[in-house]
Amino acid sequence: MNDQDLVELMSGKAQAVQTVVRLCAHWDEVVTYTLDLTASQGGSSVAPWGLPDQARDRLIQGAAHKGLRVLDPPFRRHLEQIHTALTPVDWGVAETGTLVLDSTSEDLRLATMLSETHVAVLPKERLRRSSFDVAEAMKAWHMDPPRYVAFISGASRTADIERVLTIGVHGPQHLHLLILKEADA
Amino acid sequence: MTTHTPHDIKTYRQRLRHALDNAFLRQTLDTFAAAYRESRAKAFEGIDLESLIDDIARRKASALPRLEELFAQFKARAEAAGAVVHSAKTAQEANELIAAIARENGVRKIIKSKSMTAEETFLNAHLERHGFHVTETDLGEWIIQLRREGPSHMVLPAIHLSRHQVAELFEKVTGEKQNPDDIEQMVKVARRTLRRAYLEADMGISGANFAVAESGTLGLVTNEGNGRLVTTLPRVHVALVGYDKLVPDLETALTILKALPRNATGQIISTYVTWITGAVPCDASLSGRKILHIIFLDNGRLQLAKDPVFSQALQCVRCGACANVCPIYRLVGGHNYGHVYIGAIGLILTAFYHGTENARALVMNCLNCQSCKAVCPAGIDLPYLIKNAVRHVLDQEGRRPIKNVVLAKVLKDRKLFHFLLRRASLVQKPLAGKAPLIRHLPLFFDKAHGFRSLPVIQAVPLRDRWERLQPQVSDPAMRVTLFGGCLTDFVYPEQAEAALPILADHGVAVDYPMAQTCCGLPALMAAEKETARDVALQNVRAVDVDQTDWILTLCASCGSHMKENYPKLLGDDPVWGQRVRAFAEKVIDFSSFLKDVLKVSSDAFMPSHEKTAYHAPCHLCRGLKVVEAPRDLLKTAGLDYVPSRDEDVCCGFGGSYSLEFPEISAELLKRKLDAVESAGARMLVTDCPGCVLQLRGGADKQARSFRVCHIAEAVARAYRGKTDEALKFL
Repeated sequence: MNDQDLVELMSGKAQAVQTVVRLCAHWDEVVTYTLDLTASQGGSSVAPWGLPDQARDRLIQGAAHKGLRVLDPPFRRHLEQIHTALTPVDWGVAETGTLVLDSTSEDLRLATMLSETHVAVLPKERLRRSSFDVAEAMKAWHMDPPRYVAFISGASRTADIERVLTIGVHGPQHLHLLILKEADA
Repeated sequence: MTTHTPHDIKTYRQRLRHALDNAFLRQTLDTFAAAYRESRAKAFEGIDLESLIDDIARRKASALPRLEELFAQFKARAEAAGAVVHSAKTAQEANELIAAIARENGVRKIIKSKSMTAEETFLNAHLERHGFHVTETDLGEWIIQLRREGPSHMVLPAIHLSRHQVAELFEKVTGEKQNPDDIEQMVKVARRTLRRAYLEADMGISGANFAVAESGTLGLVTNEGNGRLVTTLPRVHVALVGYDKLVPDLETALTILKALPRNATGQIISTYVTWITGAVPCDASLSGRKILHIIFLDNGRLQLAKDPVFSQALQCVRCGACANVCPIYRLVGGHNYGHVYIGAIGLILTAFYHGTENARALVMNCLNCQSCKAVCPAGIDLPYLIKNAVRHVLDQEGRRPIKNVVLAKVLKDRKLFHFLLRRASLVQKPLAGKAPLIRHLPLFFDKAHGFRSLPVIQAVPLRDRWERLQPQVSDPAMRVTLFGGCLTDFVYPEQAEAALPILADHGVAVDYPMAQTCCGLPALMAAEKETARDVALQNVRAVDVDQTDWILTLCASCGSHMKENYPKLLGDDPVWGQRVRAFAEKVIDFSSFLKDVLKVSSDAFMPSHEKTAYHAPCHLCRGLKVVEAPRDLLKTAGLDYVPSRDEDVCCGFGGSYSLEFPEISAELLKRKLDAVESAGARMLVTDCPGCVLQLRGGADKQARSFRVCHIAEAVARAYRGKTDEALKFL
C-alpha cells in the first residue's frame, strides 16, 4: 500500500467515525485552520501542546489578532477553560482511522480530554496500516514507564439512550485530523 | 443496586411472563437484534473471522494455566513503574481493599467508569455503606445507578429504558424540564453534571479489558471518554481486574481488540483505547505522580482455570454478543437473563461467582440453539458449558430431580425405553382418537403447555416397518446406515419412508440397525452426561462403521449431537475413541446427502412452484453448519423458495425446554409462524422432526394457512424418478 492509498484509507475510516480530515501543507496552515475553527465555533481559547517553536509563535500571534487566548500549561489551572486542544499525533492507524498519542504528559491528557474540540496533527510519514504495525513502538513505550498511551478514533460518543448514536458525551465533541505533508516545513 | 434473581422455576416463570408483556422492551430488543446482525457483519467484512476466533481462543486458552505466573510478571513490571498490585481472593476482600485504599488516601468522592467486575463484587454498595460518595460516569451506568438498578446488558447497561424514562429521571436529578425526544440535549445534561463529579473526585475506579503481563500495562476499551477522565483527573486510580484479563503480551491484546468492538457494537474500533503502564504524572497528587492500585480479583477464577470443562468460560472477552443473538434474551431482556453477568456467559458464571441459588432457575433457561456459540469471538462452546453448569448446580446442591433419574434409567435400557414408547402409543389413543394430533392435553399438564397440538406416537414404529420397507438395491453404489432417532422412528416414520425411493433410485443400499436407540441429546440436555455417554456408545456399537459409507439422519439434532458431541463425550476413550471419531465423520444430514453426495438433478422432479418457506433448524445451520444445501434442494425440487424473517432463529422447541418454559417456547413459535405467514408461503419446510413437531403443532392450533412438513416429504412429493424403473416407487 503506497502513501497515497494509506492517506485515503485513513481519511475514509476517520470520516466514518465523524473525524473531520484535512490535508495541510505545513504548520502555518495548521495554525490558521485551528484559529479559524475555534473562532467559528465561538470558542475563546486554544491549548497547544508539543508544537514546534515556530508554530507556537505563529499561534500566539494569530490568536492575539483574533482575540483568542492561548493557554499555558499546567492545564490543571484551566480545567474548565479549554475550548480547542492543538496537539501532534505520534502514529496514525489507517485501517481503523485511529490516532495514537503518547499521552504520558498530564497536560497533553487534560487538553485532549477536556477540550470541546481536538485538532490533531499527524505527519504523513507517521501513518501505518494496522495497529500491529505500531506494536513495536508501543512496546518500547510500555517498557519505558510510566506511560499513558491513547488510541483515539473519532469524537466521544454514546448510544446509551435508546441506542441513538450521540456525539460528545464526555470527551471532545469534535475531532479534526490534519494530515501534515511536510512535518519540518 | 438491586438484583433479585428467582431461586426457583415457578417464580422465574412468573417473572418471564411479566417480561413478555413489556412491549417497549420487546420492540427495542427486536430492533437491536436486527441492527446488531447487520452492523456486525459489516464490521467483519474482509476479515477471516474463523481464523481470528481460533487465534483468540488459542491465545486465551494457553494463558489460563499460567495465570499465576502472568500475575507475578504483571506485578513485578507494574510495581517497578510505581503501581501497587494486589490480589483479592473474594469479592468481599476486593471491596474491603478498595475501601481501605480510599480511607488511607483521605478520599470522599469517587468516580467510576464501567466495570463488570465491580458489578460482580457489588462494589458501589460496599463503598456507599462505608460513607463514600460514588458516581458512575458511563452514561448508561449513571442512569441505572440513579435508578438503583443493575445493568441489563454488559455493553449497553440501560438498553431496557426508554427516552421517556430517562427524561423523567433527569428531571428529578436536575430539577429542569427535559424533552424526551431531544436525546442530544439529555446527553449534554449528563456531560455537564458529570463534569462536576470528575473535577471534585479524589479517586477514580476503573476496570480493564486487558492486563498485559510483559509490561504491566492495563488496557481499557471505551467509547464515551469517561474512562480517560476517571484515570486522569483524580489523584488516586484503582483498577479492579479479573484474573482472566491477564494476557501475556501486547499482540494478544491487539488480537482481541480486533474482534471485541466489532463483535460488541459493530464498530471496527471503540473510540478510545487507553494503555496505562505504572503511575503517570499527576499534578493533583502531592508526589506529582498518580497513586495507582491494581487489584486482581480471583473470586473463583483460579479454581475455574484448572477445570477441564469450565476453564473455557474464562476465555470470555465481555463483548456481550451472546446476549445480542439469544432469542430468549430478545424476549425477556437482561434483568431476566442473568444475575449480574448477562446472556449465555452469565448463565454459566452465575453458578461460580454468585452461588448456586442464583443460578438454579436461570441456568435452565437455554434452548441449546447454538446462536451464542456461533457468535462468540473467543470460541467458547457456551451451550455445552451451560448444560455442564446445570449439572454443576445439581451436584453442588446434592440434588437429582426424579425426571433425571428416570431419564437415565430408561435411556440406558433401550428395550425398556422402546417398550415404554409403545405403551405410550396405547395410552394416548383416547386423547387422539383417529387424528394424527392431540389437540387437548390431559389435565395434569399446565394450561401453558396447550400452545401447540402434539403428534401421536405411532402404533407401528419405523423399526417394525423396516422389514417391509427396506428397498432392495442390487449392485449398490454405496451403503448408508439410516439413523432414525426417537422422533423419526416412533412419531414420524413417514418422513423416512418418503426418503427411501429417492435413495434406492440412486443406488443407495440402506441399513437400519435395530440396536440403535435415542441419540442421547436429551440426556445431555438434562445434564446426565454419563447416560449420554452410555447411549452414544450403544449407537456406535450398533453400526458397522467400516461397512457403511454414510450415517444418514433426518434429524438435525441427532446429527449435530452425534457429529460434535460424540467425539467430546467419547473421543478420548482408549477403547472406543477411534471408532467414535470415525462414526462422527460419517454422519450426514438429508439435504447435504441429496445435494452433495447424490447430486440430485432438477430433471428428477416435477416442478410445482409452490411458495415454500424454510425454517433453518438450529442444529443444522449452526450445529452442522449446513446453510445452503436445503435451500438449494428446495429449488432443485421445483419449489418456489420464499425467504422469511429470522429463518435461522429457533422455533422454540428445544426438546424438553418447551415443557420447562412453555411461555417462551410459545412466543418464539408464534413469531416464527407469523414470519412464514407474512412471507405468503403455502408450505413451511424444515429438516428436523423436532422443529416439525413444534411448527406443525403450532400451525394446527393457530389454524395457520400453510402446512408444515419435513424436507424429505416435500422433496419426495415432487420426485418423479431418475429412471422409468423408479416410477414404481411412486
